Amino acid sequence: MAHGGDVYSVGNEGREVFWNAPFPSELILFLFAAIAIAICAYGFYLRWQMWKAIGLPEKRTDEPGERIKSLLLNGLFQIRTFKEAYPGIMHALIFFGFFVLIFGAAFDATHFHLPFLVPFFNGGFYLGFSFIMEVFGLTVLVGIVLAVWRKYIQKPDRLGYRGKADAVADDAIALLLIGGIIITGFLLEGFRLYVNINVDGYTWGGWSFVGYAFAKTLTGISYDTVKILHKLTWWIHAFLAFGFIAYLPFSKLIHIVLAPANQYMKSLKPTGYLEPIADFETAESFGVGQLENFTWKQIFNSDACLKCGRCQDGCPAYLSGKPLSPKKLHQDIKQYWLERAPVVMAAKKAAKEGEEPVIPEPEKVMVGEVIDLHELWACTNCMYCMEACPVFNEHVPMITGMRQYKVLMEADFSPELQLTYRNMENNSNPWGIGAHMRADWAKEVGVKTLAEDPNVEYLFYVGCSGSFDDRGKKVTVAFAKILKEAGIGFGILGEEEGCCGDSAMRGGNEYLSQTLAQMNIDVMNGYGVKKIICTCPHGYNMIKKDYPHFGGNFEVYHHTEIIADLIAQGKLKLKQPVEGLFTYHDSCFLGRYNDIYEQPRKILAAVPGMKLSEMERKHAKSFCCGAGGARMWMEEDIGDRINDMRTDQAIEVKAETIAVGCPFCLTMMSDGIKDREMEEKMKALDIAEIVWEAMGLEEAEMVEAPEEKAPEEDAPAETV
Amino acid sequence: MNIVACVKQVPDTEALIKVKPDGSGIDEGGIKWVMNPYDEYGVEAALKLKEANGGEVTVVSLGPARTMETIRTALAMGADKGVHITIDGADAYNTAAALAAAIKDINPDIVFCGQRAIDDDSGQVGSVLAELLGIPQVTIVTGLEVADGKVKAIKPIEGAQLVIESAMPCVVTAQKGLNEPRYASLPGIMKAKKKPVDVKDAAALGISIEPKAKIARMTPPPVRAPGKIIAGDDPAAKAAELVKLLREEAKVI
Repeated sequence: MAHGGDVYSVGNEGREVFWNAPFPSELILFLFAAIAIAICAYGFYLRWQMWKAIGLPEKRTDEPGERIKSLLLNGLFQIRTFKEAYPGIMHALIFFGFFVLIFGAAFDATHFHLPFLVPFFNGGFYLGFSFIMEVFGLTVLVGIVLAVWRKYIQKPDRLGYRGKADAVADDAIALLLIGGIIITGFLLEGFRLYVNINVDGYTWGGWSFVGYAFAKTLTGISYDTVKILHKLTWWIHAFLAFGFIAYLPFSKLIHIVLAPANQYMKSLKPTGYLEPIADFETAESFGVGQLENFTWKQIFNSDACLKCGRCQDGCPAYLSGKPLSPKKLHQDIKQYWLERAPVVMAAKKAAKEGEEPVIPEPEKVMVGEVIDLHELWACTNCMYCMEACPVFNEHVPMITGMRQYKVLMEADFSPELQLTYRNMENNSNPWGIGAHMRADWAKEVGVKTLAEDPNVEYLFYVGCSGSFDDRGKKVTVAFAKILKEAGIGFGILGEEEGCCGDSAMRGGNEYLSQTLAQMNIDVMNGYGVKKIICTCPHGYNMIKKDYPHFGGNFEVYHHTEIIADLIAQGKLKLKQPVEGLFTYHDSCFLGRYNDIYEQPRKILAAVPGMKLSEMERKHAKSFCCGAGGARMWMEEDIGDRINDMRTDQAIEVKAETIAVGCPFCLTMMSDGIKDREMEEKMKALDIAEIVWEAMGLEEAEMVEAPEEKAPEEDAPAETV
Repeated sequence: MNIVACVKQVPDTEALIKVKPDGSGIDEGGIKWVMNPYDEYGVEAALKLKEANGGEVTVVSLGPARTMETIRTALAMGADKGVHITIDGADAYNTAAALAAAIKDINPDIVFCGQRAIDDDSGQVGSVLAELLGIPQVTIVTGLEVADGKVKAIKPIEGAQLVIESAMPCVVTAQKGLNEPRYASLPGIMKAKKKPVDVKDAAALGISIEPKAKIARMTPPPVRAPGKIIAGDDPAAKAAELVKLLREEAKVI
């Protein structure tokens, strides 16, 4: 083909495709392209077989509208990825750049092979196109530089596990491939332009400004030399691209497909949703004891994890020195799946038509061999990982599944949790305090039970902490007084109330949890309860999201929602100014689980004299107190205490009061303050206590930091 | 190995105990019933022995219909079968006699009992049972080894511990510390529903119940008087008030 001249001139700008690549370059190129694509297709075929090989069924294709929305927002617009600035921008530069470049390349190819489809690929359009390609090429390059800087210079902990970097070779290859494709692309463009502008008379080289700038530096080299260099670079560029295609399904690059797939197939259930076990009577196995007991989607999650480590960055277990890292959990499961899936596939292949395949017994059990026991039990179910994961992996239900196996099948779990469960069984509360003492607090306030007066708007579901824990009872009393003051009609279940079942469920004891839930639901339905207020976010979450599975359909409110509402309506007058600096600790089960971030803050803002100093980890990035996921009832003997770490964060912002909206958090923060010997200077208070104090209707007696002690069995002291 | 574990159903340790107005016993309304904790150590020891040596664990209990729940609890932990003797309110001797009648036919190698039940605290049943069966007994045991047809048991006493060897069959009464009773697995709970439980009354056992001891009267412990907090700002006045109260009300000075 002739160079430039008649075909490409001013007014009909363009360039010759396959310039300096005479026959049979094109043929060789297509041959290798075909090979690369075949390898890629084979890789995906293999992967597809592996995904199909193991895992229980689970439907993830319902509600396509919602799913497409998630795909567009999180895949195309990178919403989740952008939640962190540096990695967000870094990824976006590479992603958007590559996205445009791939379309560009496809455009180029179409123009060459099917010119009737893009007859306009010249003139102004071509120039604009060239310019855009140049910009996005640069974008990718900047992204790659940022990635290299991050990976090799900054070396954030989350790109490894306890100082040991992940995926050293794979990461390097991926960066080299992408970076190489872009750099060789610019180089060969420069080589071509050097000849084009000097020999062929192209005047529009400047639109390809990067290649043009490079071409301008090439003075004094013979055109033939440059053409050789161009040819060489051209082939390197082509083979890097083929390498990229062929390597894709076997490397972290597969995320280009898996990430959007997972964003499309994300859980549309409420946060923290756990699929209830439907059949205790006839099922033979419960929970996840083997890889095979995970759903296909859960295994797919592990494959979709590309080790970005965002989960690990806010995981209270990991940060406090426990062996759990949500990332490592996924990677360990993936590693075992990579070993196990081919075995299962081979067995299925070997089976004769119509016969059940004989699948060899698994070589490893999930807990103890694939996942360490301490990893499993370190999780506080705080939901940070799931909130942070850019590909919407679902770590917590996988952990609960494995816990279920240990608890329900093997009854092999910590003695202190066994005691907790026995206590829940016998007295319907984790402490095992006599169930008849559940409503003792109410005597002081004069709150009626629904048995005494069922004609009330709200059931106040007090929960175990609010009923039995001395500290929790003070919150209950404060809140009951607030409701009375606001003239809200409410009642309690009294001795008919039972444990909500959250700690049993999250600790893997689904059987106990459902038993407890059912008892409460039967009582609540018996009274025709419609609206429920909870002071404990664990009960709130459980009743709201899990009770509907068992016939309990209620409108459920957290007390901060109710108080915020009452303040907005002017039904509560806050007139007594508070003193000192406050901080607010977001409870996981309130914040990440139920998106209640603003109500508590609005309440605090309405308190006269309020000075609020927020901790760095707040809102969706809040740091757990350490008590969720049944951790409240377990010893914490590895690493630092999570509650102490959280207390340190409050101390850092010089808070004198840690405001909370959860009795577990209240206990944990109070203990943290004691551990840090800050009792003289700091205290933890529930929002309800702060509001009741600010209402100024009582002596400030209730805000004195109280001693925690076991409830007394004998008659209370009287004041003379 | 033929292993027997005797269990008793008792009120939960945290249950609110109300004595019937006529003092004949306790008001059972609203009480959560559980397995006597010392018997749980016995069941656990029985299960461990079975796991180590093979054999069968039979759990035997005396009591009204609700006792079946406790038998099922032991079956859920891993016992193989149960015997429910439907005799209610027997004294310690008659309890032991009924147990002996039921156990005799099982021909056990070892019988476990709790060292006492937490409701009546009599601590007699294990010993009387051994006498009635005519076999040795080792009581209040916190450690146990079984080998070569003999048991070697550890029994703590004031300031020391005894290591007692006994021939088998024998009765061992379990004390806290012997083991950590297991938490029943869910398949265990489900299987327990289908395990065989023989229900026998006195006639079927060929015994007649003639009480040797009976509860004459039951009274609740006296209510402890509430404490008092002396209010006021002036320490001297409070001290004076304290002295006055100690002298006039408490009569201690």
